[in-house]
Amino acid sequence: MLFFRSEELVKEWCRERGLPQRPLVTLDQLWQLAEAWYKNRLTPEARRPMGDDMRAIFRRVGLVGPFWDPEVRDG
Amino acid sequence: MDIDTDVRMMVSRWIVETTRAPSIAQVAARTGHGADGVRESYRRLQEKRLLVVESDGETIRMAPPFSAVPTQHRVHVGPREYFANCAWDALGIPAALGRKATVHSRCEQSFAPLTIEVDEKGPGPIPCVVHFAVPAARWWEDIVFT
Repeated sequence: MLFFRSEELVKEWCRERGLPQRPLVTLDQLWQLAEAWYKNRLTPEARRPMGDDMRAIFRRVGLVGPFWDPEVRDG
Repeated sequence: MDIDTDVRMMVSRWIVETTRAPSIAQVAARTGHGADGVRESYRRLQEKRLLVVESDGETIRMAPPFSAVPTQHRVHVGPREYFANCAWDALGIPAALGRKATVHSRCEQSFAPLTIEVDEKGPGPIPCVVHFAVPAARWWEDIVFT
């Protein structure tokens, strides 16, 4: 999960490596993911979201489709 | 508190306070669980995806969102500088700490520096996107690449 200045630079990066371009996430969406994943991480009760919890978080952030499904390996 | 929670909390506190990961001897001494017990705990915490250890089973590589090795994602919180594992974790550090932070990273194609100010409302607006190269189901097949 890497930062880029623009979508055009993402395309260049993927093209040079022969990799498919995957979904782009905005900084605002990334912050929502960071809060959902890590806000309670330093507490005794912390656990990493898995399965349906992950799906619910991605859906809430607006990230939908097989790429974001934790069980679709060729998403 | 069970041993895994005890170990995880000790590791987290150590990193927060020192910005570096503790050795297994330091975790064993601080928790009193012994090196073998800590090693087993590390294995279980990795299964729960709360810790990543090197192949020796005792050197911490990641305690997400913190990286135990230097990366291009540096996160300044007050006088301390932490390393994050990826773009997501770079924002995860201020989220976990509940503190304002300044993220220093770079555009991976142009290598232009990126500076992101983060407060309690989130990151300030800068021209930037984040690319996820690996589908969610495969993130932990090679979490370092992801």
